[in-house]
This record gives sequence, C-alpha cells and structure tokens, in this order.
Amino acid sequence: MSMAPRSLRITHSTRYDYSAPVDMAQHVAHLQPPHTPCQTCHQHLLQIEPDGAQVRTGMDAFGNHRAYFALPMVHATLQVHAQSIVTTRQLSPAASTLSWEEARAALTYPSSLSREPAAEFVMASYHAPIDEVFAVYARASFTPGRPLVQAVTALTQRMHREFTYASQSTDISTPAALALAQRRGVCQDFAHILIACLRSMGLAARYVSGYLLTKPPPGQPRLIGSDASHAWASVWLPDAASTEHASGGWLDLDPTNDRCGWASPGTDYVRLAVGRDFADVSPLRGVLLGGASHTLDVGVTVEPFVL
Amino acid sequence: MEPNQDLPNHSARTPFAQAQTAPTGHWDELQGGVPVPADSKAFSPLSGAWSDFMQHLPDVSPAALNARMAQLERQVHDNGISYNVYADADRPQRPWSLDLFPLMVDALSWQQIATGVLQRMRLLEHIMADTYGLQKLLRGGQLPASLVQGHPGYLHAMQGVPPVGGQYLSLAAFDLARGPDGCWWLLSQRMQAPSGLGYLLENRQLVSRQFPQAFEAMPVQRLADVYRQWIDGIKQRSPAGADAHIALLTPGPYNETYFEHAYLARYLGLTLVQGSDLTVRDSRVFLKTLQGLQPVHGLIKRVDDEWLDPLELRAESTLGVPGLLQAVRSGHVLVANAPGSGFLESNALLGFMPSLAQSLLGETLHLPAIPSWWCGEQAAMQDVLPRLSECVIKPTYPAFSGRSNFEPVIGARLSQRERDEWSGRIMRDGPAHTVQAFLPLSHTPTWQSGEGGGQVSSRPLILRVFALADTQGGWQVLPGGLARLGTREGIASMQRGGGSADVWVLGPTATQSKSTANNFQSQSMSMGTMVGASTGSSPAPSVWPTPSSTPAQLPLLAPWVATQVQRQRLATSRAAENLFWMGRYTERCENTLRLSRLTLDVLGSEDQTCGPLVDWLNRLALSQGLVAPGVPAALQSRRVFERTLVAGLWDTQVTTGVGYNLKAIHLAAANVRERLSPEHWRLIEQAQSAFFQAPPKVPHDAIQAQRVLAQTSQLLAAMTGAQTDRMTRDDGWRLMSIGRHIERLDFLSLAMQMALQGETLQAQAGFDGVLALFDSTISFHALYQQSRTVSALLELIIVNADNPRSLAWVANTLRGRLARMGHLAEGRTEELSHQIPRLIGKDVLELCPDGLRTTPALTDLLFDCRQAARHTSDQLNTLFFSHSALAGQIVSA
Repeated sequence: MSMAPRSLRITHSTRYDYSAPVDMAQHVAHLQPPHTPCQTCHQHLLQIEPDGAQVRTGMDAFGNHRAYFALPMVHATLQVHAQSIVTTRQLSPAASTLSWEEARAALTYPSSLSREPAAEFVMASYHAPIDEVFAVYARASFTPGRPLVQAVTALTQRMHREFTYASQSTDISTPAALALAQRRGVCQDFAHILIACLRSMGLAARYVSGYLLTKPPPGQPRLIGSDASHAWASVWLPDAASTEHASGGWLDLDPTNDRCGWASPGTDYVRLAVGRDFADVSPLRGVLLGGASHTLDVGVTVEPFVL
Repeated sequence: MEPNQDLPNHSARTPFAQAQTAPTGHWDELQGGVPVPADSKAFSPLSGAWSDFMQHLPDVSPAALNARMAQLERQVHDNGISYNVYADADRPQRPWSLDLFPLMVDALSWQQIATGVLQRMRLLEHIMADTYGLQKLLRGGQLPASLVQGHPGYLHAMQGVPPVGGQYLSLAAFDLARGPDGCWWLLSQRMQAPSGLGYLLENRQLVSRQFPQAFEAMPVQRLADVYRQWIDGIKQRSPAGADAHIALLTPGPYNETYFEHAYLARYLGLTLVQGSDLTVRDSRVFLKTLQGLQPVHGLIKRVDDEWLDPLELRAESTLGVPGLLQAVRSGHVLVANAPGSGFLESNALLGFMPSLAQSLLGETLHLPAIPSWWCGEQAAMQDVLPRLSECVIKPTYPAFSGRSNFEPVIGARLSQRERDEWSGRIMRDGPAHTVQAFLPLSHTPTWQSGEGGGQVSSRPLILRVFALADTQGGWQVLPGGLARLGTREGIASMQRGGGSADVWVLGPTATQSKSTANNFQSQSMSMGTMVGASTGSSPAPSVWPTPSSTPAQLPLLAPWVATQVQRQRLATSRAAENLFWMGRYTERCENTLRLSRLTLDVLGSEDQTCGPLVDWLNRLALSQGLVAPGVPAALQSRRVFERTLVAGLWDTQVTTGVGYNLKAIHLAAANVRERLSPEHWRLIEQAQSAFFQAPPKVPHDAIQAQRVLAQTSQLLAAMTGAQTDRMTRDDGWRLMSIGRHIERLDFLSLAMQMALQGETLQAQAGFDGVLALFDSTISFHALYQQSRTVSALLELIIVNADNPRSLAWVANTLRGRLARMGHLAEGRTEELSHQIPRLIGKDVLELCPDGLRTTPALTDLLFDCRQAARHTSDQLNTLFFSHSALAGQIVSA
C-alpha cells in the first residue's frame, strides 16, 4: 500500500422524495470531514434544496462538525449535497507493547489513564452494549498476556473470516447481539459488534463513520462499502505514542475489509465523524411535519483529485 | 432540643399520652429523642414544638381529631387532588394521601438543613459548569467518567453550551432523613424534574386550615415569597426579561403527578403546555394557540431530559419539542433546569461530594450525606463488601433505554447466601452498584382515625426540601417541604401508596434566637466528628425570611399572578381541539344514550310489533355503531338484537356506544383538566367509573341495563350543565359548544332522514318514537295536546326557534357561535357561519303541504344540514387543529 499522501474528492448526495408535502423540517447533519493528523480537509460545501434553509454549524461533543438546518417552507423534495476535498496520509506506526489486561487496568478508575477523554468509550452505548455474549466471542483472541495490538488485530481478522457481508440483511434497528448470532450483516453491524466486543473486554472503542475510495487503483480489488458511506471501529491504546495524542492513540480497525492502521485504516479511507455508536454520527437525521411516506436515494462517490 | 418542662396539664389525658413511639433505635419527633425501650409504657414529655402545638389545639379528644381528619379527607376529595398510580386511562386515580398532623421542623434543625442545602446547590452548579465546560474534574480524576458521560442523564448534546441566563440549576429537591442522633442526613437529590412543589402547597392549604390557631400562633415560615422570587428570577434570566412568557412543560394527563402540574401552573400563573403545543421556528420556541403562534421564553420542565427533543435525543419521544435543544443552544429559551442535570441524581455521586466541596469551594459540607460507596472504584468495593449486612444496595444508574435495573435491597433482610450472591453480582459489574449505609429513619406522629377512638401512631418519614433560584443568581431554600410517610415497615413511594404530611418549619422564637448561633456551632461540630471530617466553623448566614402576615389560607392564585391572567386565557391549539372533541363526544354520548334507552324501551313494550319504528331504531343503531354490522335484524330476532345492544353498551372495541363515548369524553377532558372546575372533572370521572362498575350481573339483562342508563343519563345532564354554566366563555369554550351543535345537527338530521325513508311517522308508535328521540315529547304535548299531524311535528323539531332540539335552533346557535369567533383565522369562521342552512321561519306547508306527507324539499334540507355539519367540522380542523395533531416524523439517512 502506498505511503504517499492522496487527494480525494467526496460527493455525498441525499435525496428525499415525500409522498405528501412536508410543512416544516429540521435536520442535523454530520457531513463535513474534520482535520486530523492523517487528513486535511481543504474545502467543504453543503448545498441544501429547497433554498432558504436556516443553517447553524458548530462542533459536537466528540469534535465532529455538525450542521443544524431548519426548512420552514413547504417542500416535497429535499436534496442535501455535500462535497469535500481531502488529502489523506498514513501515519508512521506507533509502538504499543501493553498487554490487553494492562490496558484494561489502565482504563479503570481511579487510574490516571482513566481520566483520558477516551475513558468514556469504555462504557456501553445503545447500539454497542456490554454483554457476556460479546466477551465470549472476543476471548478466543484475548489469550492471557497477549499484547493489545495483536489481540485486536486478530479479532478483526477473525470477524472478517467468520462473518458474511450481506446487504439488506439488517437495518439500523437490528441489535448487535442478533447480528453476532447470525454472523452476518453490513459494515455498520460489524463495527458495532467489534466495539461491543472490545468494551465487553473492558477496553475503550469508538465508532467511525466515513468513506472509502470508490474505484481502487488498477490491480487492486474494489472494497466493500465503497459506493456508500462506510463505518468501522477504533480502539484506544493507552501506551501508544503518536502525534495525535501525547500518550495513547487510536488504532482503527475495519472488520469489513480486514484493514487496520494508526488513526486510519489507510489513505483510501476518509473519516467523517466519531462517536459512541451510529446514533452519535448519523450523517443526516431529521424531524418532519407532514411528508407521509418517502423514498430515499443516497449516492456517494470518492475519487482521486488533483489539487 | 430540650423537652419543654411546662407541659400543659391536659396532655397526660390526650391521645398524645398514649401515642405509639418510634421503634427502638429510631428518633421520635414527638418526644424529640430516641425512646428508651424499658420506659415505653411511661408517659414521655413532648418536644418543644409539639407541646407548643398542643397548647393551641382547642380540643384534642379523639372525637375532635377524627372530625378534623374527616374534614381533611373530604377536602382532598373535593379538590380532586390525586396521584395517578398507573399511566393508564382505565385505572382509577389514587386520592392524595395526607396526614392530619404536620411534621414539625425546629429552628435549629432547619438552619442546619437550609445552610447545608444552599452550600450543596453552589457545589452542584459548579459541577454542572465543569462537566459541561472544561471538564477539569474528569481530567483531574475527581469524578469518574462512568458517573458523568457514562450516566444516561448526561447529555453530550449540551456539552459546551452555556446556560441561558447564566445559571444551570433553577431548582432541586433534596430527600433528607433524620438519624437516631437527631441530625438530618441527605439521602438523594433530584434535579431533572422533581415533583412535590405543588402537592406541598395543597398540603399546607389543607392542614393549616385544620389548625388555624396553632398555625397563626406558632412561628411557621410562609412559602409564597420564595415561589414568587423563583418565577421572577426565571423571567429575569430569560431572554425576554420581566415580560417573559414562561410555561410549564408537562408529559400530559397520564403522568402520575399531572394533578400537580395543573395545580402549579394555575398557582404560578404559567401556561400549562405539552410538547405538541410548542413548535420551534428559527431557533425560537412558540406556543401554538387559536390566536396564532405566541413566543415562549422560558420552560419549567416536568418531562425527563431524554424525552425533550426527538431531533437530538430519543427519536421516539412524542413528549418533547423537535429543535428545543437548538433553541437552548441559540440562547432563545431558558429551560429550568438546563437539560442534562440528570447525572447529578446518581447516589454514587454522593460519595464524591465531600472532596469536591473541599477542592471547588474550599469548604466542608454542612449537611452530610449518608455514607455511599460507588463500587466502580475497586477500593470502595473492597471496603464495603464485608459490610453489606449494614447497608442498602442501590442501582447507580436509572433504568433507561433497555438497560434493566433492580430495586434497592436492604442488606440486613438478606440471608447469608443471598448476600453472597449480591457480592458476586457487585464484583461482576461494580460500576452499576452503589452501596449506602442503612439509616434508621425518624418517626413522626400521625393520626389514625378509628371507630369510637383513633390513635396517634408513629410513622417513618423522608423529608423532601426544595432549593429554588432567587433573583440574585443564588438560591433560597423553601421553608417547608413535603414529608413522605411510610408504614412501620419502611418508606413506601407514592406509587406504592405511601402517605404525606405538611411540613411546618419553625422560625426562631424570641428566646431561641439568642442562643441559636452557639447551638448551631456545637451541633455542626458533633456532626463533623460523625462523618469523619473536620469542621470549618464558617458562620451560617441568616436564612430565615421574616414570617409575613400571609393568611393561613393560600389563595387559589399566587398574589402576583393577576398581571398574567391575560396570557392564561390563551387557548392552545391542543386544548381547543380537545374541547371541540369533548363537545362532540358529550353530544354523541347523549344521543347514543337516548337512542339505546328508547330502543330497549320499545323492544320491551308492546311497540315491539310496530315494524316501521323497530326498523328505524335498528338502522339508527347500526349507523351509530351501537351494534356491529351483521347482527340479525331486530324485527326478525328481537331477543338477539336486544342482547347484542346491551352487550355493546359496555364494549369499547367493536361498538361505539355509551361506554365508548364516556371514555372518549374522559380522554378529551383529561387533556384540558386545568380548564375544568374540580366538580366538573369529578362528574366526568364518576360518570365513567359508575358506568363501568355496573354492567348487569346477569349478562344481557335489559332491565338492569336500563337502570344503569338512567343513572348515567343524570350524570350526563349534570355534565352538560357544568359545560354550559361553569366554564369561562372564551374561544375554547365556543369551540366545545360548536362541537356539540355540529354533532347534534348531524345526528338529528340523520334520524329524521331515516324516519322519512322508513315512513316511521305514519305509524303512531313511530311518531311518538321520533318525538322521544328529539327529546321533544313534553314540548309537543304542551303545544299540540293530542293532535298528531306530521306538520305539527315538523314545526316543532325542524323550524321552531325556541326548542333547543329543533334543527332550526341548533343551526342558529351554530351560526352564532361561529360568527363570534370572527376575530380568529382572518374571519374565516364567519364565512363558515353563512354556509349553515337557515331554518327559522321556513314554511312548514312547503315541506308538508297536506299535513301528512313530506316533500323532496324536506329531504334536500336534511341533506344540506348534514353536509353543513360535516363541512364545518372539516374546515375547523384545517383552520385550527391541523398542526396540533401532527407528531413529528423521524428520518435518518
């Protein structure tokens, strides 16, 4: 895999067609990629139709860009068009030697490492709960004394091997425990299962939403999830030294494609937002008055871009 | 707490002399100490406050106390004070349980409580500011993330959002208990939406009235001023200042404390609103009213935080307002308390407070909390596991979002094996468990009425006190509270039938006040040793407002509310819609009731052989849904039809008969309860409950059914009387009346149409039946004696201007009411009024030239009436209610 920085243009279009007019709507969008040590966002444009949306932007509690917009007018169609230009780069690997048990202890109150902002990702969330079923699945990879990096990489690989990617087999309301039992799902399910496994082992893990390069370079296989928004997981290594944190760092794990990397699985990945689970980073969520039923069309294209 | 030595002579003979005392090891409020068990038969002197109280009772005989208790219970009933035990429309409401005797809190105790509570409020405000701001406490390890971000009450969405008006906390409730040492201890604190501020006012009003002399003579602290400053402060801090429109946000009539929401809103002059009454436009909050959108600048919420905003919090919430958090973020609405204070309610936090007080305030806590160990911390867990038998195990987190939970467990009541099981559970999931020391609760005297006597018996209590924001950026402790009483076995929640008592906080008397300062210091010293902390001898500020000369009886409205009355008359769109439907269902209920009675009468009499009559009733019953389609015709199988009709009266699933409509009235009325007098509401409840308690013992017994219907008819008449005579005639009332008349116009036109189709009027029994259904038999005989011409009948029930059951009268009234609403909706109702047919003065000869047969013109006219009724209803719906019914739809991509 290339270590050279890569520039990408992302086009993320969402279109709602309502069967009855919507009188009024409010939405919250997470559609703007952030600056991170391994990605720079040069340009971001958010276009909303109908015209006249009242937009307020800001940062949320997880450091994501968040846009609130209200549509006070009657409308039958909503189009949200987000375009971003991003340069991604690979960070040099950081060293981490901590065993997974040591990492777990470090995250337990009142240890000084339990005061890291990462500590809140140890706790259960709605879509990524803590439960013995996840611990049972994870334990095969968490042998006593095994370095954390090895354990989580092995777990990610095992998931990739043992799970079947099947679009339409689940939706967002499918609990992670059910997807685990079925050993099938989509990237969102895999991310939630992996996070739930890590949390059930006492580790800090978060959800990452983002994109993948749509058309791979010649000779490489096309990755799953590249024509829509993608999701993966990230685990906290308390002892890793990296540029993002003075001590400690996030190792990103993509069980859908069996890819791992510091702060990002690779330069073909673009991070959009992080949170405890999908509910924190939903790309577009809204409340409508009226509208009856609707059809939804989402299109994502990520292509190389010459700056 | 020296017992008063000058005991009145009569006390040795009173029920107080035989009073049951607190169990061993519990503080006894009546005696002001822990009773000595060996002495339990001997007469013990009363505490100072209680002996004062006794001196001001004119008569302490059991008979006199029984009489007072009976009066009190009657008033609770008359005022309609209730606590919904179940969130269910079908279950009865529990009358509020209030004891005759107040809990006395002496000046010294109160100073400890008030000082300690104010100090804790400052501390809690600091914690809010830090956890939603820089989070130094988390980074410094003074608070674990598990108890902040890990608690469902912490709202990430509010992180970094400064509080509107500069203050996060506008109110908080503190539950206190008095230990065997006589000191008050904090058990828990409530921040999100604490209840009690209304119930305690009702308690005060009712109990002070039973003991007027004692209430006047003793230095009982008054409450109204603290409420006033609270509301003034909220207005001042809101974006609109002193003119702010403040509303009280309730989850609605099926919330267990809805009575209190309605009561408080009325007392404080706030608009009572549900989430669906509000809308956010341009990041501002508005109230949807008949008069258009009205800005709202402040919300006192009784809805738990996670339900406040489906856009950002729980998507399935229908109790909240989409966009509310964005309005808060934009600084356009003050929400009290700032959303996100729920994590402060965790018992686990209590153990962290002493050190937080030291680091944030540099102070030692004046009001100690009961020792608490959060088992998410290894050391604390190891420390407490061997002591489970002396402790109570409680959940750290509330049940939420599918996370299960457990009821608190008293260690002493567990077997060794059960305790071991609990230890295992705690070790497996420490963070979810918090262990607290077990505190034997103090007992207070209560009056138990009994046949030919009654007795003073002691009950354990938990005292809930409230801190309310003032106008200076600080807080005041309301000098009163809500005492919750348990049984001898322990405290029961209101939901499980616990009782309550008024709380008399006593100010210093002339002699006491001199020695107060010294006493307070020595007491705080002794408490310091007990909780193992050193005492800072910070002098306590004076916390007593001067007792004002407020009369014993609280007015129905707080004295400052007069200026707000104009705003209170705003009819929210939801209230208007419910009033409209209350009117329609009332009329429907009357119609189905009259139709059912008439049909059962006919089927049980010799008129059963009158084909046109029976057929007419049969078709009407089908059209009104009194029997399901497919029932054999009444003419063919009279018995089967009758049985089906009787069964349908009580059915609410398949048919839409009397029972169905009674429920529908109740449902609509419950949503506008704050607009109904207590008597009116009681009638509605009574009509429903009496009806459903009385289905015939022998199924399908028509005679028994008739008796119940007659009874219901009387109650319904009283209800319509209350609607006509006991409600303010504002736009909301007008819509209710319009609802009734639309329904009446529709039903009577239909009944007449069907009578014409079936030639019902041509049979004598049919003629009488039509008159009966139009409730016009008596009028007809008065006007026409024995004459039975069809034209006479049509004159009375179609065109007569004085018969309130004539179509002409109904149409005329409807036109008038619509015209009176012309100031709303750009005069569109006035246009509507012109579309109602004019019947007064119509020539009966045109409709019935020969006095016997009717013409097609009559059929057309009846058709027009029905069309007008339906059209008006549809138009009103579009004009006034269309936005009130819509629940937001959630989409996610």
